[in-house]
Amino acid sequence: MGEKKELRLSGTGGQGLILAGIIIADAAIRDGKNSVQSQSYGPEARGGASRAEVIIGDGEIDYPKVSRPDVLLVMSQEACDKFAFDLERGGVLIADSTYVQKLPAIDGLVYKLPISSVAKEQVGHEMVANVVALGAMARITGVVSREALTEALLSRIPSGTEELNRRALNLGWELAEKIMQ
Amino acid sequence: MKVLMKGNEAIGEAAIRAGCRCFFGYPITPQTELPEYLAKRLPEAGGVFLQAESEIAAINMVYGAAGAGARVMTSSSSPGISLKLEGISYLAASELPCVIVNIMRGGPGLGGIQPSQSDYFQATKGGGHGDYRMIVLAPASVQELADLTAEAFELADKYRNPVMLLGDGILGQMMEAVSFRPRTALPAQDKTWATTGCRGRARNVINSLYLDPEKLERHNRHLQEKFRQMAENEVRSETYRTEDAEIVVVAFGTAARIARTAVDSARMQGIRAGLVRPVTLWPFPDQAIKSVLASCRALLTVEMNAGQMVEDVRLAVAGARPVHFYGRTGGMVPSATEILREIQNIAGVAYGASVS
Repeated sequence: MGEKKELRLSGTGGQGLILAGIIIADAAIRDGKNSVQSQSYGPEARGGASRAEVIIGDGEIDYPKVSRPDVLLVMSQEACDKFAFDLERGGVLIADSTYVQKLPAIDGLVYKLPISSVAKEQVGHEMVANVVALGAMARITGVVSREALTEALLSRIPSGTEELNRRALNLGWELAEKIMQ
Repeated sequence: MKVLMKGNEAIGEAAIRAGCRCFFGYPITPQTELPEYLAKRLPEAGGVFLQAESEIAAINMVYGAAGAGARVMTSSSSPGISLKLEGISYLAASELPCVIVNIMRGGPGLGGIQPSQSDYFQATKGGGHGDYRMIVLAPASVQELADLTAEAFELADKYRNPVMLLGDGILGQMMEAVSFRPRTALPAQDKTWATTGCRGRARNVINSLYLDPEKLERHNRHLQEKFRQMAENEVRSETYRTEDAEIVVVAFGTAARIARTAVDSARMQGIRAGLVRPVTLWPFPDQAIKSVLASCRALLTVEMNAGQMVEDVRLAVAGARPVHFYGRTGGMVPSATEILREIQNIAGVAYGASVS
């Protein structure tokens, strides 16, 4: 069965979390691994709760849903309240401190990063907060390589936004690097 | 090369690569990405995409295109397939090849939009009226969605019969790596029966109305002979760790993926478990099930419904072993832990272990 990592990216509809999930699943395949990406497909709208799930593994992945994520990204307080306790013991929780103020005490590594503010202030578009989060997540967890992530990102964004996205990814990477030192 | 693709889109791409150039459908969750994909790609490939005014209109457009010899497909989800059933019966009666995709959601009625396998009876036991059969293919991964879509078109042409691809909301919506393997080309089916304009040849008639009972019975005998050949030649299934298995799980599609994890967990606890996964639901792989009975003490059928395929498993086992059932309905998906608990119960092992 081999090594397997379960990821859940959660927040608010419109934050681009499903696209972020697809990009990280794509990157895993470019790294030569297997991945499954799934998402809730309920009658949801911008502003409602949103989540994407990705399982990355060396071997075959049978069960396509995530119940106890090893890596959990929360980009809204609502998502944090709802999912923080699902985290696998000793897992990694990355919270966007722009929107998540209250973090429960959990058994795991917690990283508080100002993801959305960095996107807004340093890239000029909060829209790329999902990409900042991807950079930080990859740096912290090592679940996909930086090269594969960059390739996957550039293949799934509208043309003309490459520079913007590249910058957002690098900022996320550096943001995590700073906090890890 | 492998690409990350959504199940519904992989069906669309595989259909185009299989030479499908006509699609008629009507949107419904959780399969809408398939018509969406084809709306973009079919015109690029020189084909026709048409969103019909209803499911009933769509299936009758399929009848027309198939009658003219086109490779044609339609897709829907459970309540939409119910609407298409009259047309499917006509297609089978008139011996028209086509591919029908059902990405199942929870029922009955309008039900919900979450994944389910509750159209097993509808797909395999007729659904529409009259004595007809169709091959029902049950993929369990995005790769298999692509592979079996291609195969569905070949089987439809080979037998001049509708073929159904039966998936569920999880398979349609999830993304996995897929590669579109070049297939060994089957000899092109010469559709000399198609209604393409009869200049220079005798008239072709496509029809399902036989008011003379003797003629209708003769037509039925011909159809039944064809169904018998399908049953003889087209059974497909997969077995996993069944060689010495005492508890054999039988599951298809998404449920089979989850059951595999449960089988591995049971093995880790010393329970000799195995899995039979029917790939064709009709014809049903009776032999694959009979062949695991020697070492097997009991069977467990796992489905995302209230117990449908379990009837065919019981027919295959014919009372030789106990056949248990575990199912979830309404869009709920069983967890590997739940299935493991059932296996433990049957094996007589205490509760308490968890599945990682």
